[in-house]
Amino acid sequence: MSGNKVDIKVVLLGKSYAGKTCLVERYLHERFNGETVPYQNTIGAAFGAKKVDVNGKKIVLGIWDTAGSERYESMSRIYYRNAKAAILCFDLTDKSSFDRIRFWIGELQTHEEACKIYICATKKDIIDADPNTRDVNEKEAQALAKDVMAELYETSSKTGENINELFMAIAQYYLETVKTTEVKEDMIYLNEVKKRLPCSCKST
Amino acid sequence: MSDLKEAEHQNTSESSDQGEFLEENAPGESENPMLIASDSYENLNYEILDGTSTAQRQTPNTESNETSTGEESNNEEQTETANDVAKKKQEIVPVEEDHDDVNSEHWRSQSKHIFILSEAGKPIYSRHGSEDKLVTIMGVMQALVSFVGDAKDSLRCMIAGDHKFVFLVRDHLLLVGVSSGMDSTHQILLQLTYVYNQVISVLTQSTLCKIFKQRRNYDLRRMLSGAEKFFDNLINLMDSEPGLLLGAVRCLPLDGSVREIIAQSIVQHAKIKDLVFGLIITNNQLIALVRIKKYYLHPMDLHLIMNLVNASESFKTAESWTPLCLPKFDSSGFLQAHISYLDDSCNTCLLLLTVDRESFFTLSDCKSKIKERLLKYNALRAISDSLQKTAYGIQQCGINDLRHFLYKSKSTAQYTSPELEAPYVTQKEKDRLFGLYKYLHHRIHTSGRPLKILFHVGPYETLLGWVTQGFELYAVFGPLVTKTSAIHAVNKLLRWIKREEDRLFILNSVTF
Repeated sequence: MSGNKVDIKVVLLGKSYAGKTCLVERYLHERFNGETVPYQNTIGAAFGAKKVDVNGKKIVLGIWDTAGSERYESMSRIYYRNAKAAILCFDLTDKSSFDRIRFWIGELQTHEEACKIYICATKKDIIDADPNTRDVNEKEAQALAKDVMAELYETSSKTGENINELFMAIAQYYLETVKTTEVKEDMIYLNEVKKRLPCSCKST
Repeated sequence: MSDLKEAEHQNTSESSDQGEFLEENAPGESENPMLIASDSYENLNYEILDGTSTAQRQTPNTESNETSTGEESNNEEQTETANDVAKKKQEIVPVEEDHDDVNSEHWRSQSKHIFILSEAGKPIYSRHGSEDKLVTIMGVMQALVSFVGDAKDSLRCMIAGDHKFVFLVRDHLLLVGVSSGMDSTHQILLQLTYVYNQVISVLTQSTLCKIFKQRRNYDLRRMLSGAEKFFDNLINLMDSEPGLLLGAVRCLPLDGSVREIIAQSIVQHAKIKDLVFGLIITNNQLIALVRIKKYYLHPMDLHLIMNLVNASESFKTAESWTPLCLPKFDSSGFLQAHISYLDDSCNTCLLLLTVDRESFFTLSDCKSKIKERLLKYNALRAISDSLQKTAYGIQQCGINDLRHFLYKSKSTAQYTSPELEAPYVTQKEKDRLFGLYKYLHHRIHTSGRPLKILFHVGPYETLLGWVTQGFELYAVFGPLVTKTSAIHAVNKLLRWIKREEDRLFILNSVTF
């Protein structure tokens, strides 16, 4: 999939073992190997792309699944640079992964202001099966999401719950903002023409 | 001991015979190599020097030991302290009754242990058992090293019973190898160097130094989380793959013309600014390597690349873009690697290494074009065919009583060997054979007394090792072979390899 064919760059960030790769696997290939294949941490980052249809418009999502290991953090900028959307993943059964989200929020707010943040809670199926395993309070997560004006999605890669919705929301949001920026671009274009006109008059 | 005398005798008596052989064009030799030619311990010796200087414990005394690399003399010196220390160690172990790990028979009976700890004694990695439970034993190791270091000396190895303990101190890290197998102390040191390089490959040397300069007692496991599998895999590889011992890589046997097509596909479609290396590997074997003119790849770095691909499943699902440090190429920084598989069964892996961090999509396009071309010319088919059928059996060489061999062409840093056949089919027999090679390799490369030819009669087989300017050959014969017939057979073998060299080696170095 060539780079110029990608409309939206989406990056997944979060602690290792938060479930980023499984989320992408579910979305791109509609499969879940979490129970059959032993855990494999991502090396660097993996790229995948998917074409989605939003209100009759075809959009290509370019998805970067990054490694969660701490050693990649210093290099993570090359992965989230110019991303339109960031999915910050945390594991509902692991509080420390939720705390890590704040780091990424800070990182994005300083370096990548234009990037829209989506907070994604993973492994919901485990919580559904046994509510005692929940380690992250829903209210707390919602408060954080509200703070940074992000949307919160509770997902399960095993059942597929809320995953399409998450990516759909990203695509839709993008389309909306593109419309407005397109209009802006048009306006600028007109202004430029206006500006240029007197010049050409002068020269003639 | 009689073996040794015999060997030396052999060494002199057969030297004329050796000169007779085509020294100037040894099989698999190339004037235009793509890898850095390597002698087995050449760069290791350099690294020992390097290591002590960074360890800041050098004294004129140890320096002189280093340059002569008088392993034996040094050993004697060390074993004195080693015996005391070993006694101490044996005392210490039973005291720690609550440590299920150290006391478990399973843990103790492992033939090779590798430990990494920080200078402050913090555990970082252990091959067997969980490093958490080994805090005490690692503390002992750290104490030993700093005790000897206090006396302005450096602890390099100790021998206790049939166990060898080898220590390597580099850049705030202490690496310890313990082996009860056939490995010589030098060979264990080489393995530790590989493990150290694996750490560098993940972090870079500059990051490593920076971390420990800021906090001496930093827990490096945080930075290495997820990299444990690289260490595990690398150490297992060193127990089974002779290439790491020889400092050479194995190439997938392919027709010269097919190899040319593959290399040209990379050249044509990946001729991109800032791309340093493009290579295709499969199953620990090299298929093609293209480089920019200025730079060569060191076999040690190539082994680390193979280890990276081998140890990770995650490249199989998607195209990856990952930072990778090649310690021999540049230990201070990362290259960016585009890694993807070319076939659906995930055997053939393409790596494009660049210094441009933004070129993922450009390289992704290159990959598609390379794949297209390889499909068009049936090259992928040729690769999978070669993978499926065994490389070659010893019968194909047509030499009686020759059971197995390793042949390394020094100038190209490549080696070849036939498939393992009976009697070397069970794991135990395979390990024993590899042990014989280690023994032969060790004897020939003994630093105080390097040999050219060694003829060794063992209880189950006869070994012949032969090292010249151009090659290293280690051959295993049946037990009843005589010296003359072995020499004769080996000459015949060299002629066979020469005939097959186009298929077994990559002789042309292709550049962008």
